[in-house]
Amino acid sequence: MSQYLQDPALWGLVVGAPLAATVIYRGRKSNAKLRLEKTELESRHTELEDTFSDAVEEARLRAEDATKTALKSAMRTLQGLANEQQLAISKVQGKYGDQQFLQDLLEIDHMNSQFGRRAQSVSVLCDGWLGRQRTVASVYDVARSAKGRIRHFTRVEIRSQTNFAVISQVVEPVALVLAELLDNATSYSAPETTIDINIRTVPKGVCVIIDDAGVGMNEEEKSRAARLLSGEHPVSVTELGNPPQFGFAVIGVLAARYGFSVSVDTASPYGGVRAVVLLPQELLTSMPEPQNAPVPETPAAMPEPEEAGETAGGLPKRRRRAPIAIVPETDAADASNRARSSEETASIMGAFQRGTQSGRSADPSREGFEVQ
Amino acid sequence: MTAPDEQEPESVGLVRPYVITNGREIADGDRFELVTLITAAPDQQQKSRLDPEKRSLVELCEGGYLSVAEIAGHMRLPIGVVKVLLSDLAEGGHILTRAPVPAAQLTDIQVLQEVLDGLQARFG
Repeated sequence: MSQYLQDPALWGLVVGAPLAATVIYRGRKSNAKLRLEKTELESRHTELEDTFSDAVEEARLRAEDATKTALKSAMRTLQGLANEQQLAISKVQGKYGDQQFLQDLLEIDHMNSQFGRRAQSVSVLCDGWLGRQRTVASVYDVARSAKGRIRHFTRVEIRSQTNFAVISQVVEPVALVLAELLDNATSYSAPETTIDINIRTVPKGVCVIIDDAGVGMNEEEKSRAARLLSGEHPVSVTELGNPPQFGFAVIGVLAARYGFSVSVDTASPYGGVRAVVLLPQELLTSMPEPQNAPVPETPAAMPEPEEAGETAGGLPKRRRRAPIAIVPETDAADASNRARSSEETASIMGAFQRGTQSGRSADPSREGFEVQ
Repeated sequence: MTAPDEQEPESVGLVRPYVITNGREIADGDRFELVTLITAAPDQQQKSRLDPEKRSLVELCEGGYLSVAEIAGHMRLPIGVVKVLLSDLAEGGHILTRAPVPAAQLTDIQVLQEVLDGLQARFG
């Protein structure tokens, strides 16, 4: 034992062991501390990162919001102008309905409708409104209205009619959705092909089916379309691409807002895309009574409410079911004229007079020849 | 569905006239004058398959004769558009047309002269 006491190694060991222990202990401690600091730093870093991305996201949202607000108000002006112009065009059409240039007026009307639709679409993407009030309309008329809002509308054929009508609130949205679908259908198919619209009654409501003979969509396009059409993801104006592809985004927003569904995931019998708009029962109603719906003007044009009640009650039936031969009666023509606005009456009377004048001045021998 | 402000209360028809004519050229109107008289053909089959405008036009004319100008007024459509509808309907045999009445009265002067002569011969 004593010999070991002499051994410096033992003493070294005696002294070294606690020292080493201390060193190890300290090392561990500092190591733990460092680790703690590291995790702390890490968490702070992620916190910073989060705050940063939040700030970026917020800035993006704010920019998006600002863009949307600006665009929305700009579009509202354009929508208003398009509506005003449509009204003006309608008036001119009525006034000069028997003139040669009616054809040109109809073309201008068509262009204006397309212009109005574009403004509406952008407005919808910016959380704006469609800005047109409508009365209840048949699904057939809504489809025809949609048809009139695209460029190549003569390629669209509506194959079937139904007795169902769409409630007034969704007339404009459904028309816009159908117009966007038809626009896609005409854009992605050959110019000589037709686009078929079929209206079918199903247990859940009414389906409007649009078939084109185009090239169809690949899987990627289909999944993009499905994502946009679901309306679950907010659409950013900045993500529409250049040239912007509004169609599906607009449809998705409107479908989600008004509660109907649109799908484009099946192929049409002609190899193109089949788009199906399903309008649930809540959005449907029975057919409106008067087809032309000229009602709103009548009460305004009437001088006396009592007389208005009587005449308005009697007149529409008489106009509709028992028109009287023109020759003998002057008072019947008078009475029906009262329901029109004075301008309209003037234009019709003027047209009539011009007609009779030209008839009188014309060579009588030609008369029988012209008419079957 | 109403915009908060500047909503135009007056709104135009949902289906525009160029859709009603389906983009067809408006004819020169040598077939239908403003005063040409129209009536519905007596036997109507497949009326339900017509467009709403054509159907209501035929229904409008069911009670008797109406002039083209009157039809346009009642239907609130431009006269040219009505003429397109009429020529479609005439082709399909849904309507009949008749020459305007006043033209026939102009040729009566000879008859009148004869009546006058007769009266003068008897009482004069």
